[in-house]
Amino acid sequence: MTAPSITTTAARAVELVKVYGHGETAVRALDRVSIEFPSGQFNAIMGPSGSGKSTLMHCLAGLDSVTSGQVFIGETDITKLNDNQLTLLRRDKVGFIFQAYNLVPTLTAIENITLPMAIAGRAPDQAWVDQIVDTVGLRDRLHHRPSELSGGQQQRVAAARALASRPDIIYADEPTGNLDSKASAEILEFLADSVRGLGQTIVMVTHDPNAASYSQRVVFLEDGRAVDEMLDPTADRVLDRMKAMGA
Amino acid sequence: MWKATIRSLMGHKLRLILTGIAVILGVGFVTGTLVLSDTLNTTFDTLFKGVNAGIDAQVRSPKSFNEQSDFGGGGASFHQPVPAALVDEVRQIPGVAAAAGSAASETTVLIDTKGKAIQPMGPPTLGFSFQPDPRLTTLKVKEGRRPSGPTEVAIDDYTVKKYGFHLGGPVKVLTNGPVRTYTLVGTIRIGTADSLLGATVTAFDPATAQQAFNLSDRWSTITVKAASGVSDSELRDRISTRLAGRYEAVTGGQLAKENASDVQKNIGFFKTVLLVFAGVSLLVGTFLIVNTFNIIIAQRTRELALLRALGARRRQVMGSVVGEAVMTAVFCSIVGVGFGVLAAIGLKGLLNAFGFKLPAGPLVVKAGSIIAGLIVGFVVTVLSSLLPARRATHVAPLEALRETSVPPVTSTRRRVVAGAAMGVAGVALLLAGLAGGGVSLVGLGALLTFLAVSFLAPLVARPVAGAIGAPIARVFKFPGRMARENATRHPRRTAATAAALMIGLALVTLVTVLSSSAQVSANRAIDHAFTADYIVKTRQFSNFPETLATDLRSLREVEAVAPFAFGQFKIDGATKQMSSVDPREFAKLGNLKAIEGTLPSDKDIALLVDEKTSTDHHWHAGDVLTVEFSKTGKQQLPIKAVYAKNELIGKYLVTESTFRANFTAQGTNVVVARKASGVSDTQARAAVDRVAKTYPSVEVQDQTELKAEQRKQINQFLFIMLALLIFSILIALIGVVNTLVLSIFERTHELGLLRAVGTTRRQTRRMIRWESVIIAVFGTLLGMVVGVFFGWALVTALHDQGITSLVVPFGYLFVFVVIAVIAGMVAAILPARRAARLNVLLAISSE
Repeated sequence: MTAPSITTTAARAVELVKVYGHGETAVRALDRVSIEFPSGQFNAIMGPSGSGKSTLMHCLAGLDSVTSGQVFIGETDITKLNDNQLTLLRRDKVGFIFQAYNLVPTLTAIENITLPMAIAGRAPDQAWVDQIVDTVGLRDRLHHRPSELSGGQQQRVAAARALASRPDIIYADEPTGNLDSKASAEILEFLADSVRGLGQTIVMVTHDPNAASYSQRVVFLEDGRAVDEMLDPTADRVLDRMKAMGA
Repeated sequence: MWKATIRSLMGHKLRLILTGIAVILGVGFVTGTLVLSDTLNTTFDTLFKGVNAGIDAQVRSPKSFNEQSDFGGGGASFHQPVPAALVDEVRQIPGVAAAAGSAASETTVLIDTKGKAIQPMGPPTLGFSFQPDPRLTTLKVKEGRRPSGPTEVAIDDYTVKKYGFHLGGPVKVLTNGPVRTYTLVGTIRIGTADSLLGATVTAFDPATAQQAFNLSDRWSTITVKAASGVSDSELRDRISTRLAGRYEAVTGGQLAKENASDVQKNIGFFKTVLLVFAGVSLLVGTFLIVNTFNIIIAQRTRELALLRALGARRRQVMGSVVGEAVMTAVFCSIVGVGFGVLAAIGLKGLLNAFGFKLPAGPLVVKAGSIIAGLIVGFVVTVLSSLLPARRATHVAPLEALRETSVPPVTSTRRRVVAGAAMGVAGVALLLAGLAGGGVSLVGLGALLTFLAVSFLAPLVARPVAGAIGAPIARVFKFPGRMARENATRHPRRTAATAAALMIGLALVTLVTVLSSSAQVSANRAIDHAFTADYIVKTRQFSNFPETLATDLRSLREVEAVAPFAFGQFKIDGATKQMSSVDPREFAKLGNLKAIEGTLPSDKDIALLVDEKTSTDHHWHAGDVLTVEFSKTGKQQLPIKAVYAKNELIGKYLVTESTFRANFTAQGTNVVVARKASGVSDTQARAAVDRVAKTYPSVEVQDQTELKAEQRKQINQFLFIMLALLIFSILIALIGVVNTLVLSIFERTHELGLLRAVGTTRRQTRRMIRWESVIIAVFGTLLGMVVGVFFGWALVTALHDQGITSLVVPFGYLFVFVVIAVIAGMVAAILPARRAARLNVLLAISSE
């Protein structure tokens, strides 16, 4: 595959601050976080509960507003966009995999996979969709509704949907949080493959060192600050680092 | 447990308000009707006590059936006049201080200053004699003086002021001949009232009245004053004993009661209609409440299961649901009763707008009406919650642990069987009721049919809603497709919401089918029976002077004139409508052909019957029939001919001579005329118009104008019905809002996901809007199917009443669908906005 020859940035945060509440009760969830996610890389964000990792992801994805600082997806400063522009940006440039509630229950698997294109009123790239479907191994489940799929299958559909619209970046929020270890491994393998083979960019929030070990780079968050990062992590090294943080 | 219930209530204020509105409107409608009718009853009692104050006793003929067709009347008591000589006989009875003959008429029409007849829509046009002896009259001069002599009148104060008549000025009055001009010498009060419910009251000198009302040597009644020391009832008893068998006597008090009850019978019809519509609103409200509680329980399944898992007993779970209903019921019933009192004021205004001048008076709010309203609201709401509550108790504790709530599946077969059984029973009762079994059977049948359809509707909800959604999905792409999916995902919920709308739409369709059928039938009847050039009549087909026909005959532009009179007689004890006309004269210009026998001369005493009546009763030309007239009692009438169906005449026809001999009321109801050959239409019409002008109560119409008038009247009926049904449709639309709001709440996560992956707010709103439209159109279609069936049944039952063709007005039905689409969009405004404003982050975060 054509890995980008010059490393570009898929997303970055500059001096990102997020404060919840006012005055006495204000909580500084993100404290001047500056971070870059290069294209074609599988990134993991880790940290103990309350470290701000989910908030960071939400801000990076345009799902939550920021208090100050900037967030870029490609060259677009998304903090300057209104709700409608943000929605269109999420639709066209961003893929999502959540921990739960990933699928629309009234739509079949294939309809869920092509959902962003349907919303945009565009015809999906059939060859590309076929390739993804085969990769996630859902060929024989395409016309089933989510309620007829196992948890792992549902997450694979979600992953396929995230890839189907060829987004600039995919955000995954605890994608394996509800899965057993075998299903987890399948999803993570698939995500890693999509980065290696298809040049996809992924930012995954997780608290599971084993999940993090599938990534190429782990960013550690503590008290709303990016405190450390680790390249080519293994589960053990990540676990040790987390223990050091007192998690 | 109670704490949890109250929390649940307060936690969903919007849901509470929406469910509450349905209860409030229904209870309000019921209470309003009851309060209004109490108010009216009290008003009438007071009014007629005042009106009849001062009358000690009245002598009159025994009550007999009304010889006049009382179109839409409440069957007021009718008494034939008494001979003038009876007055002297009464004066001889001991205890009578004074007695005098009184004349009364209901067809004394005043002409306003612009030359138009004053004929209010509801109230009558009364004429009375004004006795010189103040002891013998309830009329009192307010200004000016009592009329005396043949050219003076006095008019009630209200009418004088309303129409701008001047004391001492001329007043044109129409009684039994062409319009005559009198001098207005006084304004009067009737007892203590300035107006008799908006009726026009014209008073004459007794002799003038007697002549004007065509009583010749008779009086309508005799008014009697008791000698001092003789009580009213004593006086009555003495007179009754003396005149036993021939005439009867009543006291002023009895008279007041009779008057009040006559008026109340008229208003009683109005009350029944209002209560029926109030009932419909409540029924729709019931559907709404059941549906809301069902959805709430589906959503609370996990919470209820958790309660069960923590050890709450079934009874406690049931109590928590019913408790919520009880609190809603109490709150909304109280508000509804308050709303009802306001509605009564509005309805009173509506009556005034129809021309009834109700005397000012306080609203009579009886404890009974309030209690009835409260009970109805409470019982309906709580009963509606029982079924859903029972379902709640079947929630297994285990369901708390399940990831997604699975809607309970009831057996389709049981649903089909129950629905079909109800449907069959409902249709059978409905048809039996229409075939003569009575209104309550029809009502019960209709109710069962509604229930059956709402039971079966979930079975067709998916395919039908899918079909309605198909074009929407095609045109509006993604939001349209999602709307379609969402409308079909809970067939039961969609069906229940649509079913509430179905009831209103079924009734709307019914009245539309009925009025369209009536219209087409009327046009056909006019085409068939009305082959003359002109018809002259009043708007209400009321009496006008016979001289009009004479005047028309004298015109050289007109060659045939046939005056009709309508009345009632009895055959074997049953009241029948009959017509009177000169058969041979009418045959010249109308569609009258003898199938058996020959048309008799107008001088013959003869009866004619139409073909169907002849076949049904095996009556043939040459038979002699015993019929009973109000005035002359039983008479033998020979059947001289059997004629082919004629809508203007009806089933029974007598010659004019027969009518004159046996009816008190003379006068004409309709005159048909044909222009002479060689005269232009304009010339003939101008001549006829000129004559008619001297009888301001009548109007001249040709076939086209007659049809137009019929259409106007039928449309008026249609619009009044539609206006009354709007309430129930509004309640059903609130139901749509409620279902959508609850569904959106349920789909919070899904909507959040859709927003996260790129659905715009606008697309979200569209999605909800079209879902609402699909539900609304589904309900409308269901209603139309039921309504067309009802319409068919009713039109079939009314075949003998002259509605002969069934017409399904597709134009109107199409308009209703368009309105349903718009209404669906309006109902979606609030829910759509909620869905679009949803916080995406909260929506996708688990729990």
